[in-house]
Amino acid sequence: MSQVTKTYGSGEAAVHALDHVDFDVQAGEVVVVMGPSGAGKTTFLTIAGALLTPTSGTVEISGIDITSLSEKDLPEIRRERIGFIFQSFNLLESLTAIENVKLVMMDGTKSRGAANRARELMTMLGLGHRLKSLPKNLSGGEKQRVAIARALANNPDLILADEPTANLDSKRGREVMQLLRQIALEMRKAVIIVSHDHRTREIASRIAWLEDGTFRPDVATERDPVCQRVVEVEGSPSFIHESVTYYFCSSQCYDLFQTEPRQFLTGTRE
Amino acid sequence: MLLVARKNLFSERMRLAISVGGIALSVFLISLLLSLYRGWDEKVGGFVENSSIDIWIASEGTEDFLTAASLQPSEGNQEHAALYNGAKEYLDAHSFVDRWSPMIVRLAEGVRVEKLSGDDEKLGTEMDIHFIGFDTTTRLGGPIETVEGSDTPGPGEVIIDEKLSSRYDVDVGDTLRAGGRDWAVVGKSKGGDFVATQTVFVTHEEAQTTLRMEGLTTFYVIEATKDEFVEPLETDLEDLAAQNDLPLVVHTREEFAANTRERIISNILPILFVVLGLAFIVGVAVAGLTIYTATIEKAREYGILKAVGFPNRYLYRVVFEQSATTALLGFVVGLGLTLILGPFASEYVPQFVLLTRWQDVLFVAGITVLMALIAAYIPVRRLAAIDPVGVFKG
Repeated sequence: MSQVTKTYGSGEAAVHALDHVDFDVQAGEVVVVMGPSGAGKTTFLTIAGALLTPTSGTVEISGIDITSLSEKDLPEIRRERIGFIFQSFNLLESLTAIENVKLVMMDGTKSRGAANRARELMTMLGLGHRLKSLPKNLSGGEKQRVAIARALANNPDLILADEPTANLDSKRGREVMQLLRQIALEMRKAVIIVSHDHRTREIASRIAWLEDGTFRPDVATERDPVCQRVVEVEGSPSFIHESVTYYFCSSQCYDLFQTEPRQFLTGTRE
Repeated sequence: MLLVARKNLFSERMRLAISVGGIALSVFLISLLLSLYRGWDEKVGGFVENSSIDIWIASEGTEDFLTAASLQPSEGNQEHAALYNGAKEYLDAHSFVDRWSPMIVRLAEGVRVEKLSGDDEKLGTEMDIHFIGFDTTTRLGGPIETVEGSDTPGPGEVIIDEKLSSRYDVDVGDTLRAGGRDWAVVGKSKGGDFVATQTVFVTHEEAQTTLRMEGLTTFYVIEATKDEFVEPLETDLEDLAAQNDLPLVVHTREEFAANTRERIISNILPILFVVLGLAFIVGVAVAGLTIYTATIEKAREYGILKAVGFPNRYLYRVVFEQSATTALLGFVVGLGLTLILGPFASEYVPQFVLLTRWQDVLFVAGITVLMALIAAYIPVRRLAAIDPVGVFKG
């Protein structure tokens, strides 16, 4: 992304969701984008995903300037160059697991090749025994792995993941994170994860802090021990307990922690 | 068919059943009404079309068979003897005329069954008939085809149409009371069913006597020597009538059949169109609403498809295929119902005359395609408005 700006509204009511943003990610890299609510993360993700056109600036994916393409050319870019992983999995409920994966490769036509690749991907992700299961019969972790298989189906260069662990328990969330890291490293994909989840830091090649529509360099972050969100050290409410300083996303978390610190520290020091 | 379309359609069986039911009901009504229209069209013009009469001569103002108010002098008419003799001489001498004869047609309402054979259940039943007096020598205007008993009625005898027989349970050997006298049924014919009325044949002389039409007749009917002489003969007769200032009209078989059809069909056609329109609206409304609600329910999934790179045209195809499949199933069920239930209806209600032509089946298929297109139109517009960015909101 080069000098990307996205402005909603005009005149005095104009809101700059992204303001002259420069950003790049390479194959094999996992970049975790973090930031407070309203920072512009979704706008960033949808522009990177060729779903939204920036007001100004350019976006290139694998050397293709997608900002110069017409609206009707963008779906093909999304299908061929980008894999999407969503917070709520977004599988098609009437399709089986393998059909959900196969679908994005078929473009309406039956294909033996698509079926084979879908089966291969699902087996690789440990879902070989769930090929014909409907999404309603899968666990959250399984659903997200199906979604990952779907994202990989067309062998895209870029994987965009929006809060991929938000609807998963701690164990499944970690598994998904490790999987994304593995995909980046072994399959040489560029992975961008937008997340509030501190666990994502463990697999990140780097963390990008987005705030007020711009990426801020060298931002020190810590995990809120109450809600587990990653928070910026500077400006956040803090509390020293047993010589350790803890940072909080809000005064509510701060107050809760003060009341009974041990309650929150037990589970976070795994 | 696209995977998504097929899965969406068949995963909601009840909705599919309602949708198919709506189209099937519509197709059933439309095809039934069309078959009814064709059946009436066929029956009403059938007698005129299938008789061997090429030319019908009637008094001015008589344009069709059913409202035959024509009166013309015939043999034995003292007042117009010269006119009759002149006409007879002309027709006998004309090289294009093979046979000619007078023919009486009169609508008789309230003819009673005075049944003397079989059970008594139908005794006193009243019926409306077309009382036809024909020349038994030329047989012009007589029964199209005799299916039972005598083909030529004698004094006090009638031949009835088989539809009259089945409708009122009258048979050969029974007695009808018409024109103040009894008539013995001696034969049954086919091809004289006008749906609302049926033909009953007597000799021309008996008809004259019974209807107090001595020296008079309704029509003069002619069979030409060759088909190609019909039009020149019609012209000759029209010229002759004009030269002698005779208040006559001359119709070819086709004109007369068309006018007869028009008399009935023009009255029922507007009703038919209204019901056809309503049936069409029912089909579109049911299919449209079910497909629309299905699309709304799946709006998020269509958003997902858009987000992961499916263009709008793919989504339109999904909806159109769902609509088309629903329509196809509805068409098959509706047409099947028509073909299965139609004959039962005809059996119990004689006026329910059905004739299904392949052209009409094609027409109904076209209507069904139109229903599918209209039913898919609004959902497709809704699809176009779905914002794929929405799928990022958990």
